[in-house]
Amino acid sequence: MSEPLLRLEHVERRYHMGGEDVRAVRGVSLSIDAGEHLAIVGPSGCGKSTLLNLLGAIDRPDAGRVLLDGRDVSALSDREATELRLRRIGFVFQRFHLLAALSARENVELPMSEAGLGKRERAERARELLSYVGLAGRERHRPPQLSGGEQQRVAIARALANRPALVLADEPTGELDARTGAEVAALFQRLNDDGTTLVIVTHDEELAAAAKRVVHMRDGLVVRDERGVAPAAAARGR
Amino acid sequence: MLGRLVAAALLGHRARTILAVAGVAVSAALLLDMVMLSTGMSVSFRSLLLARGFQLRVAPKGTLPFDTEATIADATATIAALRESPDIDAVSPVLGGNIHVPGANGTATSAVALGLDPRYQGDYEILAGRDPGEGEIVANDALLAAIGRGVGDTLTIAGGYDPQLRRFAGVRRVTIAGRARFLYLSRGQRAAAMPTASLQALGGASRRDRASLMMIRARPGADVETVRAWIARRLPRVTAISTETALAQVEERLSYFRQLAFILGSVSLVVGVLLVGTLVTVSVNERIGEFAVLRAIGVAKRTITAQIMIEGATLMLVGSLLGLLLGLVTARYLNAILSSFPGLPQAIDFFLFQPRSAWTALGLLAIAGVLAGAWPAWRGASLPVARTLREEAA
Amino acid sequence: MWNPHRIRFISDGTMRLTILVPLALAAVAPLAAARAQQPRTIAIDARLAADARLHVGDVVVLAAQPGEAGDTVRIAAITRPNADPSEIAHQEYRVRVHLDQLQSLTAYGDRVHRFAVQSRGGATTGSAVAAIDAAAFGFLAHRSRDVAVETSATFAVVSRFHRAIGVITVVASAIFLLCILLLKVDERRKDVAALRLSGISRATVVKSIVIEASMVALFGTLFGAALGWLATAIVNAHYQGVYRTPLRFALITPRTITFALVLSVVLGVAAGALAALRLARAHPLALLGRR
Repeated sequence: MSEPLLRLEHVERRYHMGGEDVRAVRGVSLSIDAGEHLAIVGPSGCGKSTLLNLLGAIDRPDAGRVLLDGRDVSALSDREATELRLRRIGFVFQRFHLLAALSARENVELPMSEAGLGKRERAERARELLSYVGLAGRERHRPPQLSGGEQQRVAIARALANRPALVLADEPTGELDARTGAEVAALFQRLNDDGTTLVIVTHDEELAAAAKRVVHMRDGLVVRDERGVAPAAAARGR
Repeated sequence: MLGRLVAAALLGHRARTILAVAGVAVSAALLLDMVMLSTGMSVSFRSLLLARGFQLRVAPKGTLPFDTEATIADATATIAALRESPDIDAVSPVLGGNIHVPGANGTATSAVALGLDPRYQGDYEILAGRDPGEGEIVANDALLAAIGRGVGDTLTIAGGYDPQLRRFAGVRRVTIAGRARFLYLSRGQRAAAMPTASLQALGGASRRDRASLMMIRARPGADVETVRAWIARRLPRVTAISTETALAQVEERLSYFRQLAFILGSVSLVVGVLLVGTLVTVSVNERIGEFAVLRAIGVAKRTITAQIMIEGATLMLVGSLLGLLLGLVTARYLNAILSSFPGLPQAIDFFLFQPRSAWTALGLLAIAGVLAGAWPAWRGASLPVARTLREEAA
Repeated sequence: MWNPHRIRFISDGTMRLTILVPLALAAVAPLAAARAQQPRTIAIDARLAADARLHVGDVVVLAAQPGEAGDTVRIAAITRPNADPSEIAHQEYRVRVHLDQLQSLTAYGDRVHRFAVQSRGGATTGSAVAAIDAAAFGFLAHRSRDVAVETSATFAVVSRFHRAIGVITVVASAIFLLCILLLKVDERRKDVAALRLSGISRATVVKSIVIEASMVALFGTLFGAALGWLATAIVNAHYQGVYRTPLRFALITPRTITFALVLSVVLGVAAGALAALRLARAHPLALLGRR
C-alpha cells in the first residue's frame, strides 16, 4: 500500500483561553490520500479549523505527528514550514483575505513571486488560473471591485498558484449567498476532478455533500469518518 | 511585487503618508541645519584665517587681534626681528584706525582704515582696480556708496581725530586705486586700506612706527608651532596666535551655538525616529491579519519584514530628501540672521553646507528611522499565524 | 570698551594672574582721598574670588606690569556678576579699584574714559545731553538707553535666531502632533463601526472623538510643559555654570504655556475632527473591512 499524502498520528492541540486550558484537538489520527476530496464537519468550536491549521503547517501539535509526504511537518523549522506552505499547500479562507490594493492578477502572482518565478511566467500562469476559475478579462480588477464569489475565485486561483499537492479551505462559502456558494462548490469539485487533493472545513451542507469523504468532529475528536456517503447523508450527519 | 506592496501600503493612507513625510522633512531640515551650524563656524573661520596663507597672527602681548586698541611699538624693528627666522616666509603688518572723509556742511563720513603692505596683505580681495600705492587707497562698496565716489576719483581723507581739540592729526588727498572686499570686517562696515606709512602719517605721533597686528606666513614645510614658539622666545612683548588657538578662542566664545546645535539636532533625530517608529507600529498593528494571511500562504518572515522596513525607509528617504531642500533654504535664512552679529566678519558663515556632513546627518536619520521600524516589522512578521488568524476572524 | 592696560594681580606672592580692568567700573572716589596707614580697599568679582581662593579681608598686591612694586590693597567686597547678556562671553575677571589709585597704577594721569551723569529725569535728560554736547569742549553725551541698544545688539541677533528656530520647531511639533492624533483616531475605526452599527449618530461619534483628541492634546501639553520646566531648569543650571552668570537663559512663562496649550488643543480638535469626519462618513461595515 502506498504512503498517504497526509497522515495525522495521535495529534493533540491545547490552548490557554480565558484562564482555562482548552483541548481543541484530542488525539486525532487520520490519513488522507492524494486526490481525495475530504470535508471536515462538526459544530462550531469542535476543533475543525484547528485541525485544518495543523494539516496546513501553520500550527504545531502539542503531541503527535503530522506527516506530509511522509515528512514530519511538526518538526520543521519556521522557515521550512513556510517554504512547505508556499510550494505544497494552497489555502482558501472564509473571508477571502485578498490584498485590496493589488489587482486580481497581482494577488494570484503573489505566491509565485515569493517562490521566485519570473515576471512573464507568473503573469501567464496567473492569467491561466483566473481563466480556469472563470475570471478571464477581470485580471485588472481590484478586490473591492469584485463580488464576494469572484473574490473567492481569485483566492482559489491564488491557492493554486504554485501547483500545490494539497488545497485546504476553511469555510470557503461562509461569506457567500447560496447561489454563489454553489458556484464555488462546483469549482472545488472541478479542481478535485482535475486531480487536486482537497480538504474543506465547512458548515455548508452542499459543499460537504460534494465531498467523497466526510470527517465528523465533536469536542476535538473525530467521531465518524465516512467515505463515499451521499450528499444528503453527509449534511444530516453534522 | 514588494515594491507594489510598499506603494499600496503608503498610498492607501495618503494623509498619513503626507504628514509623515512632512514630519520627517522638517526633522531632517532641522537636523541638517544643526549639523551645518555645529561645524560651519569653525570650518568657515578656519578657511577665512587661512584664506591668504597666513598661519600666525602677532598681536600686542595679552590681546587678540583687534580686540583692543593696543598697538605694537617699534613695528620696523619687530618686522626685522621676525624676518630673522628662516622659517618665516612673509610678514604683513597691519595698522588699524579710523579715517574721516569730510563732506559738505562740516559733516564727515568715517570708516575703518587699515594700513598694510599691499604686497603681502591678507585683509582684502581686489574686486576692481589695483592695490594702493603711495597716495592711494582701496575702499569697499559701503564706503564708496557713502561718499558717492568710484575707482579713479580723488578725495581728501583725515585721521587722528583729537576730540579735545576737535582737530585731525593728518589730512591728505588720495586717489581711489581699487574697489575691494574686506575679509575680516562685518557686513555694511565702511572700510579703506592704504600703505602702512600713509595711515601712520595720518595718525600723528601716537601712530608712528606702530602696528596693530602682524600676519605671518610660514615657509612651506615649516612647523607653524615651532615658528610660534620661536616668536614667543624672540619677542616677549608680543603674542603669536596660531590658527588653531584663534579657532579655539572663537569656538569657546560661540560654544553656545554648538551646544544648541547638538541639543536641537538630537531632538530632531529623536522626533524623526519616533514619528517613523510610531507610524510603522500603527501600520503593523492595523495589518496583522494581512500579515498572518501572507504567512499562511507561504510568504517568508523576511519578505514581510523587508516590506514593512522598506515602507519606513521610503518615508525616511523621501522626507530626508525634502528635508535637504528645506534645510538649505532655512539655513540661508538663519545664516542671514546670525551674520548680522555686530563685529562678525562678513565672510564667516554659521551655516556651511558640507556634503559629507550633510549626507552623514541624513544617513543617520534614515538609518535610525529604518531601525525604529525594524522592531515593529519583525514583531508583525513573527506573530503566531494560527492564533492571529483566529483572533482576526473574531 | 575694555581698557588695554593690564594689571598684575599678586596674591600672597604666589598667585599671579593677568587681568583686564574696565576703568568705567572703577568706583569713583575723591581724588584727594587720604592714603591712610591702612591699605586701601578693592572689590573683586565672585569668579576671581573662587579661582584665586580669595576672601573678604585678604590683603593682596595690585600692579600694572609684572615686576612692578604695585600697591598693597585689602579685599573689602566680593561682587556678583551682572545678569547682562552682553557680558556672558567675556570671561575676564573684574576688580573695582578707587579711581585715583587706578590712575596712579596705570600712569593714566587725571583722565577717565567716561562719566556717568544722572539727570533729574524725564525731559531734562534731553536738555542735559544737548547742554553737555554744546558746552563741554570735546565731550559727547549719550543716553543710557542708546548705549544699551548698542551693547545689546548681539543679544538682539541671538534673540531673532531663537525666534526663527522656535518657528521651525513649532511647525515640526505641529506636524508630529497632527500625525499622532490622526493615527490615534484611525485606530478607533472598529469602535466607530460598532457605535454606528448600534445606532449612535454621526454627530455623537464625531463629538466624542474630537473631545478625546483634545484631551490627549491637552494632557500631552501639560506633560510637555512639565518636561519643558525641567529642561529649562537644566539649561539654566548648565549655562549659568558655564558662563558663571546669574543670567537666566531659558524662561518658561505663562505666555509660553498658554501658546503651547492653545496650539495643541486647536491642532487636536482639527486633527480629531478631520479624522472623525472621515470615519463617520464611511459605512460601518467598510470600517470593519466587510464591504
